[in-house]
Amino acid sequence: MSGEAFSLPAASIGGFIQDPSNANPNPKPNANPAKKKRNLPGTPDPDAEVIALSPKTLMATNRFICEICKKGFQRDQNLQLHRRGHNLPWKLRQRTNKEVRKKVYICPEKTCVHHDPSRALGDLTGIKKHFSRKHGEKKWKCEKCSKKYAVQSDWKAHSKTCGTREYKCDCGTLFSRKDSFITHRAFCDALAEESARLTSVAATSLNFGNDTVNLPHGFAGRGVQDVAGIPQFGSGFPQDFSGMPAPGLPEMVQMAPANLFGSSSHFPGFENGGATSSNSNNLSLSQLPQGLKEEGRNEGNLMESLSSLYSDNQNKQSKANASPMSATALLQKAAQMGSTRSNPSFFGNSFGVMSSSSSHTAPTFMASSSASMSATSNNLDKLMLQTGGKPSEPSLLSMHHPGSNSFAQSLTRDFLGMSNDQSPRPFLPQELAKYAAIGSTMGLSQFTSSNH
Amino acid sequence: MSQNESSPLKSSSSSLQDFSMMSLSPSLGSSYPWLKELKSEERGLYLIHLLLTCANHVATGSLENANIALEQISELASPDGDTMQRIAAYFTEALADRILKTWPGLHKAINSTRVVDLVSEQALVRRLFFEVFPFLKAAFLLVNQAIIEAMEGEKVVHVIDLDAAEPMQWIALIRGLSARPEGPPHLRITGIHVRKEVLDQMGHRLSEEAEKLDIPFQFNPVVGELEDLDVERLHVKTGEAVAISSVLRLHSLLASDDEPLRKKLPLALKNSNGIHLQRALQMSQNTLGELLEKDTVNGYSPSPDSASSSPLSSPVSPKVDTFLTALRGLLPKLVVITEQDSNHNGSTLMERLLESLHSYAALFDCLESTVSRASFERLKLEKMLFGNEIKNIISCEGAERKERHEKLEKWIQRLDSAGFCNVPLSYYGMLQAKTLLQGYNCNGYKMKGENGCVMICWQDRPMFSVSAWRCRNSL
Repeated sequence: MSGEAFSLPAASIGGFIQDPSNANPNPKPNANPAKKKRNLPGTPDPDAEVIALSPKTLMATNRFICEICKKGFQRDQNLQLHRRGHNLPWKLRQRTNKEVRKKVYICPEKTCVHHDPSRALGDLTGIKKHFSRKHGEKKWKCEKCSKKYAVQSDWKAHSKTCGTREYKCDCGTLFSRKDSFITHRAFCDALAEESARLTSVAATSLNFGNDTVNLPHGFAGRGVQDVAGIPQFGSGFPQDFSGMPAPGLPEMVQMAPANLFGSSSHFPGFENGGATSSNSNNLSLSQLPQGLKEEGRNEGNLMESLSSLYSDNQNKQSKANASPMSATALLQKAAQMGSTRSNPSFFGNSFGVMSSSSSHTAPTFMASSSASMSATSNNLDKLMLQTGGKPSEPSLLSMHHPGSNSFAQSLTRDFLGMSNDQSPRPFLPQELAKYAAIGSTMGLSQFTSSNH
Repeated sequence: MSQNESSPLKSSSSSLQDFSMMSLSPSLGSSYPWLKELKSEERGLYLIHLLLTCANHVATGSLENANIALEQISELASPDGDTMQRIAAYFTEALADRILKTWPGLHKAINSTRVVDLVSEQALVRRLFFEVFPFLKAAFLLVNQAIIEAMEGEKVVHVIDLDAAEPMQWIALIRGLSARPEGPPHLRITGIHVRKEVLDQMGHRLSEEAEKLDIPFQFNPVVGELEDLDVERLHVKTGEAVAISSVLRLHSLLASDDEPLRKKLPLALKNSNGIHLQRALQMSQNTLGELLEKDTVNGYSPSPDSASSSPLSSPVSPKVDTFLTALRGLLPKLVVITEQDSNHNGSTLMERLLESLHSYAALFDCLESTVSRASFERLKLEKMLFGNEIKNIISCEGAERKERHEKLEKWIQRLDSAGFCNVPLSYYGMLQAKTLLQGYNCNGYKMKGENGCVMICWQDRPMFSVSAWRCRNSL
């Protein structure tokens, strides 16, 4: 943006008087074209003359009217020729032989980008069409697809191609333009999976730990095997991608991020950038961690031995045979186990454990935990209590204790060798309700016996 | 925690809590010999159970029970075992740290020889995170492309980086801008960071790069905490086009808003400069009392700060709102926010524990799938980066707890109320990022777009979000 203020007269004089403003916008610091060349859109010639026309002028179709019969003409030349017919004096203007100063036009609409002289358009027809398209009413409608246009030529051009040539992506989207179709395909999920598949296949033959991973080979591979569509993007492409040069997708995408992220030859070329900077950081980082996940797979065999432990209830085993369960999967499993009320006992189910629903079943874990601590940490107890622990409710536990099955009782005695008549652990009412329904401790014996 | 009992639809979090309630048959003999015999999956499940149980105990103040659980976990957890073992190791350390804070003297003493925050350590961890995971790279691609597109036609571009530590992002931007058809703009980058050395490094590298490409460039370092930032120091000039980028930094601003702590301190400290004093006093006061009070009153802490489970409740976070408003006052052309997309800002310990168990499980799984177990880099990342985050989330409260990650929808609400409206991210940028993720030789990385924002996922779990904003109703 040039930052200089321009006061262009509002061209409200009406009619078709042009108001040349002699203020030089100077939008670009450089450039003085020697010969006639086409400027990039939106970057006008710096010493061109800026012309501001009123909306009325722009929209007017036949600006030149014959006084006699009021017939309208688009060009002055045509009007003059017509005046001959009325026997009026006429004069055809000669093309001026002095050097013509280039004219650029700005859009009268204040909020428009092209209202700024530095973004003026170079062509009168262009500015007229722009004004109609952006700020005008869409009067022309395509019959086939109900798309509306403000400029008749746009409408005509569209009607010619509407429904004629179509590209269809695997995901079902239709395109009339080859370039947008190609862009979409590259991005489309359906293809992403395919290319990922191809990538992993191609990649296994690659040196894993190396930095030489180029663009997913799936892309290149796909380009080869796909229907005539992907590799050359041609000139249509840059419009979508804000001016990036577009030789072809793999190279383009490879090139651009190569620009962006430092490495000239690799696609995720960050390693090189990383290497150089890490040197300057005084860090000697080894290459990207080697051995991607090869040795881990061996541990999957462990899972097979697990299946002996679990009955058909734990049917996830079949799925988990190939590889160790990820932490996420474990969490999901745990959540599932927690939510199925019918199967409350943790390890016990497959051993046909009875799950007692009486309130006598002790949450042995809790009980014994508190019990074991109480004997050994009385002093600590006192510290705890004074800092806010809730007073114990021994009655609850002693109530539970006789109720728990003898086996569990003997076990706890075995391991702890102490009585559990005191428990500083507070029970929240909600927890109690849960414990009421929770299963037994029988699982322990089976569990330990099967393991030892 | 168990208020969800009667709800017909159980979220996985509450189911997980129920899981912890299940009776675990094994008893607790002093040496737990049978524990060693557990196979990987069982051990993993058992670890989850123990962690939840332990956290329950910590939350309710029954520290002896917590101690027992900790002991069991320690038998099974290990920083170089399988995924679940590693996760358990860091979570258990965090829980232990939390308990230890009930004796402030003890806590300080045990950390007295810990060399904190070496610049080189931090730099290493940052670099590892950048290299090993594609998250940052993908985010940078998206951010940079958004900036390039927003700055089309601009002659003077001023980029403000709210946590300027990674030069790679701006090197890429410099290259991208120099390649644009209308030629490069005059570029200024302002970097904010606590440590001067980091900024010096960054400035040096960026200036070097800009000079190579012959771009008029200026780097302005702003040393200091983001929380104390005065926007005047950013020296935004009229007429220049401003882009602001925040990468994994904004969430720590949510930390300064704890009501319960403020109530305890004298009024004189309640101004923006008081945050430091608050923190200092917090340490010397009876943090035990505060912690336990928070944890045992009605079962869980009632602090009104930040995220509760309902997505629509808009939390009161004056500090971050003021900050965002100040940013908006600069009339930036573009603001791009990259954040972790997890809810680690629940007001209760259990909420945070459950959520973070899931998120860090995904991150650890990701490492497990892409890096070998013996890798030193992996260990460093798990310990120095994730371990520290977990510790912060679990064992810290109040202004100390900086890792307040929140889900994108909350950030959207905040930015919306600060006067910004969403700008959809560039299609081309998304294409690049997606290609990058696919090129990482691992099928787990995914990307999805949602209302113009992008979520970068591991398997199906969104881990990071990127969103772009502009001022609403501005010219």
